[in-house]
Amino acid sequence: MAFNLQEESISYGDFTVLNDFSLSIEKGEKVALLGKSGSGKSTLLKHLYNLEKEDCTYIPQELGLVNNLSVFHNVYISKLDENSLFTNLRNLILPSKEYKDKILKVLKEVELEDKIHSKIINLSGGQKQRCAISRAVFDRKQILLADEPISALDEYLSDEILKLLTLKFETSICALHNVDLAIKNFDRVIGLKNGKVILDKVCSDLNEDDRQKLYYVCD
Amino acid sequence: MKMIDKSCIMFVTKDLRVSFVIFIVGVISFFIADLSISTVDTSLLVEEFFFSIIKLSFSNYSILFEAFLNTISIAIISIFISSILGFFLALFFSNILVRISLSFTRAIHELFWALIFLQIFGLNTLTAILAIIIPYSAILAKVYAEILEEHDTFPQSLRGRSKISYFIYTKIPDALPHLVSYTLYRFECALRSTAILGFVGITTLGYYLSSSFMQGYYNEVWMILISFYIVVASVKWWFNKYTFIPLTIVSFFYLDDFSGFNLDNLIRFITNDIVPYPIRNDLGFDKSLAWFDNIFSNEILPGIFNTIVLTQLSLFLTALLALVLFPLVSKKFFSKPSRLSSHIILVILRSTPEYILAYIFLQLFGPSMLPAALALMLHNGSIIGHLMGNETNLLSLRPDITKKRTEKYFYEVLPRVYKQFLAFLFYRWEIIMRESAILGILGIATLGFFIDSAIADFRLDKMFLLLLVTAFLNIIVDLISKKAREYLKTDSSFSSSRCSLK
Repeated sequence: MAFNLQEESISYGDFTVLNDFSLSIEKGEKVALLGKSGSGKSTLLKHLYNLEKEDCTYIPQELGLVNNLSVFHNVYISKLDENSLFTNLRNLILPSKEYKDKILKVLKEVELEDKIHSKIINLSGGQKQRCAISRAVFDRKQILLADEPISALDEYLSDEILKLLTLKFETSICALHNVDLAIKNFDRVIGLKNGKVILDKVCSDLNEDDRQKLYYVCD
Repeated sequence: MKMIDKSCIMFVTKDLRVSFVIFIVGVISFFIADLSISTVDTSLLVEEFFFSIIKLSFSNYSILFEAFLNTISIAIISIFISSILGFFLALFFSNILVRISLSFTRAIHELFWALIFLQIFGLNTLTAILAIIIPYSAILAKVYAEILEEHDTFPQSLRGRSKISYFIYTKIPDALPHLVSYTLYRFECALRSTAILGFVGITTLGYYLSSSFMQGYYNEVWMILISFYIVVASVKWWFNKYTFIPLTIVSFFYLDDFSGFNLDNLIRFITNDIVPYPIRNDLGFDKSLAWFDNIFSNEILPGIFNTIVLTQLSLFLTALLALVLFPLVSKKFFSKPSRLSSHIILVILRSTPEYILAYIFLQLFGPSMLPAALALMLHNGSIIGHLMGNETNLLSLRPDITKKRTEKYFYEVLPRVYKQFLAFLFYRWEIIMRESAILGILGIATLGFFIDSAIADFRLDKMFLLLLVTAFLNIIVDLISKKAREYLKTDSSFSSSRCSLK
């Protein structure tokens, strides 16, 4: 079992986002969270991340990139804890061949290899998003928690990247807006509205009614 | 009748309320303050002074050149050491003890620090450098800490265990350009501070300026001032991120003599000189109380009173001047050619330290609060006027607004920048108070006057007590200013120009 929430409540100050919330996710599952902004997706992901920090790779909605560093360094950041301070300093000043090759490989998969030396500040919204995704892929813990990782990408790239993410991580939980891409790339969809689960089904069991319901929660 | 009254009250905003307080206190200070002119031949003196600008010359150019090299290299070394110290202190800025002690060192003016170190190490380069380093590292530490906090896009939750690595990767890259540009800006201030250290005897520009003035060589005074403007105005061409390190090394070699450090003197100063006289000599509680009471009622109270009067008067005058000046440099009011001349005047007023302005006015008008208030008004008013001008340039006004300048000023522009204006004023408040205290050295009975005379009588215990009072007064003003800014909610309204205010 990756996560098991039983009747939990999460609130910010006086404002309760998730009330009496129950959810369990098995290891190896690929789950898409669907819902409008404000439905509780981000709160849920953040909560899950705090439960299993050590085993999770997390892509927050605001991406968390360092503007004045290159794409290389921003991807490398996920390995800071694994390497010594000396190695980290060395790679900051003069990236080693070893890491350059490794990171280039990851960047190729999201079609960002030509931007390896660009500073984040000079990238477009979609390029920034792909950089954050590369950081996550390079980190590659057991569970992926991604908060709308493809919101600034076109349909083709979105599809490619969701394939990549579900392939690279044993378990992946993604917050999304796009119902069709969710059903196509994930095994299970959860529809959220105002902090409540209104639909939770394995994709192969979805009927036309369920699809309409999902379109409705994302609209 | 009642209805009208109520609807009028609706227009009284927080901004107006605060402005009203500044206004009233300013006017009261105006009537309390001694603003008399005591020189006999004032107009003749003023005329002679201003006309000697056309006879620009200097008797010995190698001395002038040396004074400049001295001033510049002391400033460079001081800013170099301060930036390193400041950075390390910034890392511990969340510690309350660090914050308190830094706000204390910040609150004491560099000239006061110079006066202290003069007693310990004598008249030398070491004294000059320490006098700049101590307040400057405290200021840099505070601003560095703010910059490091502000430029941080990396979420807390993603930060891992290796604290140093994460610090270097996620904080430094975004903050570094801001840290560098603030340090370079501070160098300009350090130049001014070093120049005025000459007034206590260190051989920087202020020393030659005051000696030329006292001998009545006004042409030399102008020569020093104008060369100083050129040096300050050209600073970004010769002092930048590429020349910083080489210039620092050259300065170290130029000022090769850093001796003068004397541990015995330092120990004597701390353990003996500044210990209150009755305690040092074990005269008992009653005598100690009498000692304190005497200083309190004859020096501390009048000193505080005069410092506050001068501060509030100057603050009020600064506000008036800034409100008049800012349209003169604003794209919203004047065309480029007429803005240019106002810009030049503002740059000159901004780059003249208020201490030098006050010194000149004092020679022309004689000792009273007038020279000090004029100096503080001109210097601070031009700084705020300049910043306000920049703020108004950023405003986008709709195309069909009134063409009448006065109406535009009161209806379209001033209301939009008034909050920033008040914020600027509150940021400058603490600085005006620091300066008001220090201008006492020139003979106005603010706290600096009593500190200076305590040193002249070699009563260092009294000096130390008065310095503590000065620092406390500054910290209190800083706290009130912070509360006022919170009350007005001004801090969120601007970000770019805040650095040039501190």
